[in-house]
Amino acid sequence: MISGRLRFDTSHATEFVDLTQRVSDEIEKAGLRTGRIHLQSLHTTLGLAINENEPLLLRDFEHLLERLAPGDAGYEHDDFTRRFEVAVDEPVNGHAHCRQLLLTGFLTLLVEEGRLVMGRWQSVFAVELDGPRHRQLAMQLDGEFSPPHRVGRSAAQSAAGWGDETTQLVEMEITRQLMTDPDPVAVPMRRLMEAGGKRLRPKLVQLTSRIGPRQEPVRAASLAAAVELLHNATLIHDDYVDESTHRRGRPTVAAAEGAERAIAVGDYYFAKATRLIAELGNASVATTMAEALEAICASQIDDVAQRGAFPGDHDSYLRVVRGKTAALFAAACVSGALLSDAPADVVEALRRYGELLGIAFQMADDMVDFSPDSGKPIGLDIRQRALSLPLIYAAEDRSVGKEVRDLLAGSLGDREVDRVADLVTASDALRRVGDEARGLVEEAVREIEAVELDGLRPTLVGLARSAVDRTA
Amino acid sequence: MSVQILDRELERLEALWAEGLSDSYRSYVEVVAGYETEAQPKLALAAALIEVGLRLQGLGGHAAPPPTLLMGDLCLARASRLLADSAGQALQVAFAQAIETVSAAAASGQRSRPVRDLLVHAFAAGR
Repeated sequence: MISGRLRFDTSHATEFVDLTQRVSDEIEKAGLRTGRIHLQSLHTTLGLAINENEPLLLRDFEHLLERLAPGDAGYEHDDFTRRFEVAVDEPVNGHAHCRQLLLTGFLTLLVEEGRLVMGRWQSVFAVELDGPRHRQLAMQLDGEFSPPHRVGRSAAQSAAGWGDETTQLVEMEITRQLMTDPDPVAVPMRRLMEAGGKRLRPKLVQLTSRIGPRQEPVRAASLAAAVELLHNATLIHDDYVDESTHRRGRPTVAAAEGAERAIAVGDYYFAKATRLIAELGNASVATTMAEALEAICASQIDDVAQRGAFPGDHDSYLRVVRGKTAALFAAACVSGALLSDAPADVVEALRRYGELLGIAFQMADDMVDFSPDSGKPIGLDIRQRALSLPLIYAAEDRSVGKEVRDLLAGSLGDREVDRVADLVTASDALRRVGDEARGLVEEAVREIEAVELDGLRPTLVGLARSAVDRTA
Repeated sequence: MSVQILDRELERLEALWAEGLSDSYRSYVEVVAGYETEAQPKLALAAALIEVGLRLQGLGGHAAPPPTLLMGDLCLARASRLLADSAGQALQVAFAQAIETVSAAAASGQRSRPVRDLLVHAFAAGR
């Protein structure tokens, strides 16, 4: 069984939209050889019909609907003074609901030898009765499928399984890409990527690539792998800039191989990721990712520039984090959705979701620096004078703020770092950051409430909440 | 070809214009002549940014200090965005391959063809 949505826009109040070719395309894409395709209207003023696509006949149908349920007949449904919970934009459309009652809301069509079984003059119509609007039909295909298409699964199925098969697909793609690269660049990158990482960005790509009507798991895996390579390429340069000696419990590329090698490895995978994205042949995806990369690089410059005013303030923190972390989260969401031809309103909602999630993720990451359960030495951000919201809040704190500021203004040895960490933990800073991060996640969740996500909302909500409720 | 068109593309990189970016840009103006007129300035600037960006980073030589490396990174990122905006798929791929070639050589401690040669070749391949 494969399921999905068929989306389209109507342009008239009453309109017969011929979906025959779209339905045939879905059958071909799914590889259904013999079976059925079920269509169900998800609207109370959109009907379905099988009839002849002859323009004058379609006008006859319109006239028939008008005679049976005239627009000006007066409908109790349109008397808003007598109804409860009437939306501010509630249309006057009693006639459209009554007309829908004359049609059907669902169709089952037979498929044989990979083709829709239709009579010579038959076409499949969605009948708009209250347009123009954005519409969608739920669609399920069942029967015998061609072997190559069996991997194509519904969005809901994929949402349930993104943690296993789809993740494996990305891991396989990353491994495959690294195998083709020269050892001097592949070995350090492999070491970094094998050391772990949450793979949140590729997960976002994969999830959002299941939302639109065009679902291509292999291309989505390629994009997801490119995004992860790009992310790791930026980390390699970051570690050199921050003089970090360890990442994910292992020596950084700069520490292990030298700065020159680190720069070369970062550049190689920056270019490779860019190439993999270009090879997808989707201009919007390429532009989205390039803009994100530009934002990351610009904010890195701002980040370093602000270290003179360490620990900085909330506004400057947000400005940097929007570019440094959130831009790639947003781009991951947007590019996956674009790859699947998701509607523009969905893409925009996912962009906002990704940006808010990215900011919240960075805040949670800042808190991990003070967690004894993180597996990392406490106070690394303090030692590196890295941008950190808990430090900003602790420096503003009435009781410990002065001491924190004094300590940060001087040289930071082990004793000073430990003391600052103690002060941050003792203050209200971590609670404030946690509250703020969770608030942003809830805001992100609200951003995707109003759009159709083909069953993926619970997964995106769960992923967002788990991204901030962590200690490592 | 008006340099004014490029003003907004030089945000944060203005200082580099007088420090070799303009010379590099001019060297690519003739190379891009076969491309669509509107795209030519952006394509020439993208190539110049890659050339200057890699030089700033010290790729294949001594590593640049962190602030200079970040400026080089921004040059590469800006070039990538210009290409995404203005170049076809073939040219985007050819440019990426040029950077892969020089960075792989740098990581191996080997000399590669000059960046400009590779980019000129990329322009020919991407047409």
